[in-house]
Amino acid sequence: MLKHYLLYGILILICCQSNIAVGQERAVSGAVRDETNSPLPGVNVVVKGTSTGTITNSDGRYTINVPNGASTIVFSFIGYADQEVSVGDRTDIDVSMDADVTSLDEVVVTALGIEKSSKSLGYSTSKVNGDAIAINRTPNPMNALTGKIAGVNISSLGSGPAGTSKIRIRGQSSISGQNSPLIVVNGIPIDNSNYGTNQGNNGSDTSVGNRGGGASFDGGDSFSSFNPDDIESMTVLKGATASALYGSRAKDGVIMIVTKSRGSGSGIGVTYNLNYSNDTPLDFTDYQYEYGQGEYGIRPTTPNPQSGQWSFGEKIQPDMTQILFNNLTVPYEAQRGIIKDFYRNGQNLTNTIAISGNSDKGGFNMSIADANSKGITPNNKFNRKTINLGLTYDLTPKLNFKANVNYAAERNTNPPIIADQDNSMPTALLAMANTMPLSVLDENKYNAGGGEFLYSRFTNRTNPYWGLAEVKSNIRRDRIFGNLSLAYKLTDWLSLQGRFGQDYYSRSSDYINLPTGKASINSGSIFSSSAPAFYNGLYTQDFRTFRETNADFLLTAIKDFGDFGINISAGGNQMKRRSDVSSVQVTDFSVLGLYNVGYGRAKDPTYGLSERQVNSLYGSAEVNFREWLYLNFTARNDWFSTLSPANRSILYPSVSASYVFSESFQKPSWLNSGRLRAAYAEVGSDTDVPPYSQQLIYTVNANQFQGQAIGALGTSVPNPNLKPMRAAETEIGLELKMFNNRVNVDVAAYRKLTTDQIVQAQVSDASGFVNTLINSGESENKGVELMVNLIPIETNNFSWDLTFAGAYNITKVLSLLNDTPGSNITVGTHVFNGWVQQIVGEEMGQIVGYGYRRYGHDPATNVPLDPATVTNPENIGKIMIGSNGIPLATTRPIPFGSALPRWTGGFTNSFNYKGLTLSFLIDFKLGGKMLSGTNFNAMRHGLHKATLVGRDNMTSDTGTSDPGGWVLNTDGVDANGVENAKAAKVEDYYSVVRGSGLVEPVIYNAGFWKLRQVTIGYDFTKFLPDNFPIRGVRLSVFSNNVLMLKKWVDNIDPESFGYTSDNVVGLESPGVPTTRSIGFNLNVKL
Amino acid sequence: MKKIYHITLLSLSLLIASSCDDGFDELNKSKTGATTVDPIAVFNNAVIFTSPPASTLVYELGAVQQIITSNSGVNVGANYNQVNITSTPGNWTNSYQNTIKYTADVISHTQDDPTRANLYNMTRIVQQYAFMVLSDTYGDIPYSEAGKGYTDQLFLPKYDTQQAVYDGIISELTAAVAALDPAGKIETSDVLYKGNIAQWKKFGNSLLLRAGMRLINANAAKAASTVAAAFAGGVITDNADNAVIRHDPNYMNGVGNTLNGTEAANFYLAQPFVNALKANADPRLGALAVRYVGANSGPAQIYTGTGANSTFDPANQYGMPMGSTDATADASGASLPGGGNRYAHSQADRTRVVSRASPMYLATAAMNNLLLAEAVERGISGVTGTSTEYFAAGITAHMVQMSGYGAASTVAAADITTYVTARTATFTAAPTGAALADSRVNEINYEYWVASFLNGNECWANFRRVGMEQRNYRTPNPATAAPLFLTNPYSGKVVDWINRITYPPSESLVNTQNYNLAVQSIGKDELGVKLYWAQ
Repeated sequence: MLKHYLLYGILILICCQSNIAVGQERAVSGAVRDETNSPLPGVNVVVKGTSTGTITNSDGRYTINVPNGASTIVFSFIGYADQEVSVGDRTDIDVSMDADVTSLDEVVVTALGIEKSSKSLGYSTSKVNGDAIAINRTPNPMNALTGKIAGVNISSLGSGPAGTSKIRIRGQSSISGQNSPLIVVNGIPIDNSNYGTNQGNNGSDTSVGNRGGGASFDGGDSFSSFNPDDIESMTVLKGATASALYGSRAKDGVIMIVTKSRGSGSGIGVTYNLNYSNDTPLDFTDYQYEYGQGEYGIRPTTPNPQSGQWSFGEKIQPDMTQILFNNLTVPYEAQRGIIKDFYRNGQNLTNTIAISGNSDKGGFNMSIADANSKGITPNNKFNRKTINLGLTYDLTPKLNFKANVNYAAERNTNPPIIADQDNSMPTALLAMANTMPLSVLDENKYNAGGGEFLYSRFTNRTNPYWGLAEVKSNIRRDRIFGNLSLAYKLTDWLSLQGRFGQDYYSRSSDYINLPTGKASINSGSIFSSSAPAFYNGLYTQDFRTFRETNADFLLTAIKDFGDFGINISAGGNQMKRRSDVSSVQVTDFSVLGLYNVGYGRAKDPTYGLSERQVNSLYGSAEVNFREWLYLNFTARNDWFSTLSPANRSILYPSVSASYVFSESFQKPSWLNSGRLRAAYAEVGSDTDVPPYSQQLIYTVNANQFQGQAIGALGTSVPNPNLKPMRAAETEIGLELKMFNNRVNVDVAAYRKLTTDQIVQAQVSDASGFVNTLINSGESENKGVELMVNLIPIETNNFSWDLTFAGAYNITKVLSLLNDTPGSNITVGTHVFNGWVQQIVGEEMGQIVGYGYRRYGHDPATNVPLDPATVTNPENIGKIMIGSNGIPLATTRPIPFGSALPRWTGGFTNSFNYKGLTLSFLIDFKLGGKMLSGTNFNAMRHGLHKATLVGRDNMTSDTGTSDPGGWVLNTDGVDANGVENAKAAKVEDYYSVVRGSGLVEPVIYNAGFWKLRQVTIGYDFTKFLPDNFPIRGVRLSVFSNNVLMLKKWVDNIDPESFGYTSDNVVGLESPGVPTTRSIGFNLNVKL
Repeated sequence: MKKIYHITLLSLSLLIASSCDDGFDELNKSKTGATTVDPIAVFNNAVIFTSPPASTLVYELGAVQQIITSNSGVNVGANYNQVNITSTPGNWTNSYQNTIKYTADVISHTQDDPTRANLYNMTRIVQQYAFMVLSDTYGDIPYSEAGKGYTDQLFLPKYDTQQAVYDGIISELTAAVAALDPAGKIETSDVLYKGNIAQWKKFGNSLLLRAGMRLINANAAKAASTVAAAFAGGVITDNADNAVIRHDPNYMNGVGNTLNGTEAANFYLAQPFVNALKANADPRLGALAVRYVGANSGPAQIYTGTGANSTFDPANQYGMPMGSTDATADASGASLPGGGNRYAHSQADRTRVVSRASPMYLATAAMNNLLLAEAVERGISGVTGTSTEYFAAGITAHMVQMSGYGAASTVAAADITTYVTARTATFTAAPTGAALADSRVNEINYEYWVASFLNGNECWANFRRVGMEQRNYRTPNPATAAPLFLTNPYSGKVVDWINRITYPPSESLVNTQNYNLAVQSIGKDELGVKLYWAQ
């Protein structure tokens, strides 16, 4: 079907071009400056009475085609008074804009693609222009927004190019479901499913995990399909009011992407853009290198040592040797910097050619791009080819046609396995014995049978070089999305629009996991005795197609009645989504090295079909009084196919007001403009309810047992009575522009109450099941957002622009199954001993685990006891040491605090000196906690510097000597509160984190301050001779993730998280290192 | 243009006119998933999951001092007598999420269906088997409210005392066995007995015998009446009737899978087990053990069948001392003939008794004969026959059963005769009565300990029932007899003996209220707490 639309689009394009050729018009160009005579970029330039328009470039210059008959050009820009200039016979018109005052006016694309003047809105929106995304780019375009919008928190993962980007607007509202914003492209929603790493996710979010254990690579999200060069602007609708018209899917805000659909200037323009960056892996490890490989103080001195992941060996002395693998004698010396040695520098290269056209009747933009990324993991690469076509055309003066089609072919090769204990290169590297030379690991990866040579008794810690050579995965996605729209002006005040959009992709992935892996499974040996003739392994081929269609219509009436103006819209939408998955997983292979389902022994094919639909009707009404007081009402009713008949229809209202007080009375001279906003909205959502949730589905195992069918049931109890969850949000805001617009402030405060949450509640295993979906759960987000823009210096040659975007958000869990404080549900499980829980009365996202048992505290809850009941009250709170010299753990897991940051934001400084721009961004996230799996391993494997304590103490309290040393923790006390006198062997002491799950030593403050971006740009256009075929040249040099200014967690970047799921937030497990990228962007206009 | 206008208007009015949730009921029914299957398929899955999970390697098999690892960290458990929260939930999740869930589902579909009455009663037996394992592992457990997540929407079941659980098990088993009807539908797809009613009755009665004997300390009268009733109904006394899960490459033996996977080189036969078999010149040692002479690493364990490097020779088997750390195990290994380090200790042979497809014996003629021998010794009325006969029959049955692990584990008939003769002589020479020190009950339970090797659940339950750790084993020389089981010498242990396994952390987190009541009822949620029926 889509093929036809594409064809139709191309026909229109041809049609359009011919029009450009015969258009009766002339080009007008010129420069726009502000009152200080500085060039003013971004000014809207429109031929009055037409839809022909452009914006000024970074030098404030524009070119526009003025049709014969048109007489006036309108220049408008936020913060400046509109200027209407009559054209006459001129072809060169320079304009000087005066700062105004009244103007809080900017055209903002709001829900459903409705363009509104920003001053009419009772809620907060933020817009980012395409340049901000295209120049300082990251493979996933969303990451470029980090720190730039107040209240928007973006985290990328340590998972290679095309990895997932986690976006949270105004915090996290869903207790155990999904929290991602809705992505809308050119007015129509697209899919943002995430194919991530989800092990330990006990919640219900929509991310899709891989089949089979151990294949925990990040398969990316929807944003990787975008070429940043195609994006004209992104607008973030933050509050519920902003997104009320999107209803169910917009409870977490909306990111509206507008792609380019027409050129600027007249005729055909060609733009070439080259973007290159080089990524350097960052190594934050600060391990100990005093004691080398080994256990209990003994270094490897016989062949085939098994301590490859342990650094509890001997004190490293000059000229010492060790024996590794099958009798290799190598020096026993520290191997520093293995992170940088193992990983390579990554590279990203994007070439984009765009052709655009513009005429009085319409225009088009077509781009073709090729993006190549080499991940820092030596076998990881990503390629994306995109074609984007956007066009708009006035078929008649009353009928406008718009279309856009985006095609992306993505190929992701060997995304690294992360966040897992088994088979993960990052995990094995970060725990590698500190005297293990990488070259020796590489050269000895194979054993005689073609399997992995064991280098450690921790056999799951696959040799990273063996993993590079043998563990493979491929993801191929072909995606086409876009929409067509027709808008018809019935009268001068009434118009009708109809749209159809579709997002379709096919995604195939295949992955080999452990072809002869996990070391100890000897390939083809007698030990695979279940099936001796086969080589062990796991291979999965997964093929899915996804289609989402949205059809909508919108009737709009805009009319003024004296002092009053009204703007009424009514419309409807039908969303249909279908996904098909067929997948075959095979285990054990008859031919070594040939991984094809045909050669597998046990085969497990599955097919799944999922369909859902949401029908909606909605309307909005805006009334304004003299354009300084606006009232806005919206209502939307959704019908959900996934819910039971009694609960499937739901109505959401919103009301908002905007009061431009600076226009309603005589304002003081220092105030340019001011506005107050207030809004209340309700939205609801069924996104956490999968289709068929009311049915208990039986499966039948692929393989029979003794010739009999084996039936099975899922782990979740169906609930037929689910209702949509509801969110109600109240928001107020104030916007001020002062002192000639050199001090601009926008502050917003909100409170969002989310009720009837669809909670994937863990139930007792004894019920037979693991969880059930219930409508329960209430949470409250409260926060403040502040955007301050200052222009401290502004002269003809130099300007300094400082912007702060910051937000404070706190989310509390008010009730779950009941509202008893302390009652809780578990939503995420770490690969180690830790959980994420929601606990009534606490902040959302509590990290929970076993803590130190403390003297004078309740051993289960760690709550202090009445000092009167304690023998040695002076020691209350000291950690308790068992009779074996090892700290005791609490008897029950205890909460350590929320993983969600309270403070997020960034400072952007921009300097402009004679066209040379320099900007840098410092961003921060503060106030969250994390459980660090990397440090957990570093601790128990003897790499963490904290494990040096005790190593030189050779005798125990009882006089027993041990070469590994003894820890006598005298800060701790015994059961009676008396100072501890028992010593434990060093390795036993620090291994306690694993056996008893005592994770308190690896709970950290997850906050950080980073110098996130530095960009230097210069526009060479002014050096180009007139009539030169090249019309513009701009070069920018940039660096991302430049410098860690402050962090609290040892040995890692606090951003190097391995999970995409919301429900395992704060549980760090090794991902690939974060990178610093340095690159350049060259933009050439022909 | 007009046409487009009309089409648009038409489509709009269509959208409005059609009801806003038209077809949703149909749309939200899965077109590819089954909402019903023959309950026998689900029943079979319940049966498969009665096989003990891999976690029994870490706890049960080590608590009975048969298989241990010196590794710290993830494998910490019975060797160090410490809590390992990764492995404590093993039986809990394995049984509740599978056997209990599936049996509850089958029961809900068959209890009111007279045509499937036999399936219903078979399912009850399997369910009670799982409950017995759960209660023997943890003590008080969710029982009367368990498995009802879907049928009754009971998500946080209360716990029942172990006494109540055993009362329930005995009455359910009794009722189910009585109701099994050879004239009813024979469930030939059943993977345990192909629906053979006589065998199912024997299996049910065998579990009754086991449950009755379990109560011998706690409620002697109930124990006696239950054992007598089970005996009267007929229990498994022939290997042909054994309840056994015949694992295959797709449905693998949990312990065997782990030992042929990541933990291949990490678990060893424990010294008390190897020493005891050696002292009795038990031919089963050669049938189940292998030792890689001189091995100093996993890769150095090169398997060549029995020979100089990988030997089955019983005289050349050496177990790992209980409570070994890697360091002390290395020292112990170095002192063995041929040297090496900890990798040179004897292992349960991964190619024979603990392969991925090794059968798992749930209830056997060997176990039952030995239980009957003890019942006679204890004077339970109604059990006919002599304890000596049962004792010899029990040992013989297990030695014959070894051939189930393959030809290489077959014990020669002559060796069986020699061993049984010698052991029977010892047995008859021993004092009668159930006194602790050196009675015949000792000898019986020693043999039960060997005969239930690898079924960690049953072996450990019986171990605690008779207080094996307190018994002083006579053999080989009563005059110089040393206790077979030494208190674990590991300095970091938290208890001397593991008497139960702690509840999974998820219970304290999720089912908090009921968990707290259960902990109150049993005293403390700790490894050292003795169960209701324990000696």
